[in-house]
Amino acid sequence: MADRITFKRIIKLLAISAKMDLIWLLRDTRFALAGISADMISNISTVSGVFLIASRFGGIGGMSTDEVLFMMAYSTLITGIFIIFGSGNNIHISRIIGRGQLEHLFIQPLPLGVQLSTNGFTPFTGGSNFIVGIVLMAIAVGRLELQISFLWIVSLMAYLLTTVTIIIARSYLVSSMTFYAPVAAEEISSTAIDGTWLISTFPLSGMPVFIQIPLLTVLPEGLMAWFPALSLLGRPPLGLTGYYPMLYALLISLAASFIFRKGLRYYVQKGSNRYLPYGFRR
Amino acid sequence: MFKRVQTDIYRTDSAVSISGVTKTFAQWQRDNTGKGVVRNLIKPEKKVIKALDDVSFEIKRGEFVAYAGPNGAGKSTTMKLLSGMLLPTSGDIYVLSMSPQKQRRAIMRHLGVLFGNRTELWWDHPVIQSFEWKKVVWDIPEELYKKNLAMVTDLLDLGGLLKTFAREMSLGQRMRADLAMLLLHSPKLILLDEPTLGLDVVAKRQMIGFLKQLNEQDGTTIVVTSHDMDDLEEMAQRILLISNGRIAFDGDFEALRQELGCTKQMVYAYAANSLEEGLANLFTKWRD
Repeated sequence: MADRITFKRIIKLLAISAKMDLIWLLRDTRFALAGISADMISNISTVSGVFLIASRFGGIGGMSTDEVLFMMAYSTLITGIFIIFGSGNNIHISRIIGRGQLEHLFIQPLPLGVQLSTNGFTPFTGGSNFIVGIVLMAIAVGRLELQISFLWIVSLMAYLLTTVTIIIARSYLVSSMTFYAPVAAEEISSTAIDGTWLISTFPLSGMPVFIQIPLLTVLPEGLMAWFPALSLLGRPPLGLTGYYPMLYALLISLAASFIFRKGLRYYVQKGSNRYLPYGFRR
Repeated sequence: MFKRVQTDIYRTDSAVSISGVTKTFAQWQRDNTGKGVVRNLIKPEKKVIKALDDVSFEIKRGEFVAYAGPNGAGKSTTMKLLSGMLLPTSGDIYVLSMSPQKQRRAIMRHLGVLFGNRTELWWDHPVIQSFEWKKVVWDIPEELYKKNLAMVTDLLDLGGLLKTFAREMSLGQRMRADLAMLLLHSPKLILLDEPTLGLDVVAKRQMIGFLKQLNEQDGTTIVVTSHDMDDLEEMAQRILLISNGRIAFDGDFEALRQELGCTKQMVYAYAANSLEEGLANLFTKWRD
């Protein structure tokens, strides 16, 4: 029984999560398909609302209709990745902390980071949005007649990784409050991320600078799709460097890591006087 | 960087060693008067609760120990400290010669923990799927997994339950499945917090019988908490009685009876097919 966490071991952990996801899907396929369809319809509705406005008015704030479609495709890919890797409340970590369920993780012989990064992997039930995102991206790239190079694909992947890092870091940052107020802050992660998601899918081009700047700093909604999409199209907004999201991701990750660890130390000192069995392992 | 930890669990014959452990919690105090609400905003009132007060004891390998006490005595706090879920305010804790604070992962490879009011099973999956998940997470070698699976399936009579969803099982069945899952990695030490909570007489008997067998045949060290002194006496050789965060008694059950002055014991032998029938007969005789 090796103590070392190897790449092979991570793959095995992801594989068992994927297998359980597939079994869950096949267990009751009707309900699973209904759930997947609802997810897709909900996301396509969010995206198509903005796209229809862009179509009606020939673009939004200096972005053409096809550029808006490109941004929507990016946003859908992000939603897809979020669902594929975060279906076990491992991204909305405030739920696990608030419900006193961290103790289930403490008794596993794995580092918390490894557990949290592998136990919410649901490629089968959660892959629909990602597939829709790829289709939308292919359509947008075709309509924009972009020259796709290997470097561009690497850039796209780097931006996707950056955006997901910001989402996770932001969730863990706000979720740190749950260590101190488990009942009041149990849902704080979903409130912080889902509550402002509509702004994340809106093209901020043409908005006044005093609105754009806060949405790239205090609330990183502009970094969820707008800034990366424009950077991938070769014109990052506000004269900023295209590396700005990476810098932001680094800073927010460091802050989240520091504050979350502090909260975790508080938790193991004080313990949790709350335990809710629901929502723990489907 | 990968940090190598000491994982030699056979260095001493001590399974659990607790020395001068104190655990305090701060409890918020609030009253419902207007003045109290204002005072709470400015200077919240806190009360310090000592869940454990300078507790020391040692459990040797192969012992079956009952850890008993009233509600709020500190039983669950001790269990959480031993399994690395909580850190002590002061004092030293060693589990299988390792520190839960520094070597949590290494300890978890040899420790099994079960809380009666929780389940480690996946709710919406058949039991066998939870077992397979455990095999991967604990990195249990295939041969050992198969051997242990066959053993727990046989001894805990799980054959008909392996394909059943955890959410569709009765409490007794679920506890059996949880106990089976706990044993798949051959733990050297088992911590059970109220494992018989809510179980009916038959399920309780099955669980007690199995735990005794595990301790006697495999030499597995077991620490169990419960409110039910009869259950504890049937299972354990030694009792640690905790009260108000302090060890009030440490010895065998006979010595405890002497200590408490309870020297008389009534034994009722009944000729019946079940305990319920026996109790019904006893009640009828008593009434007549």
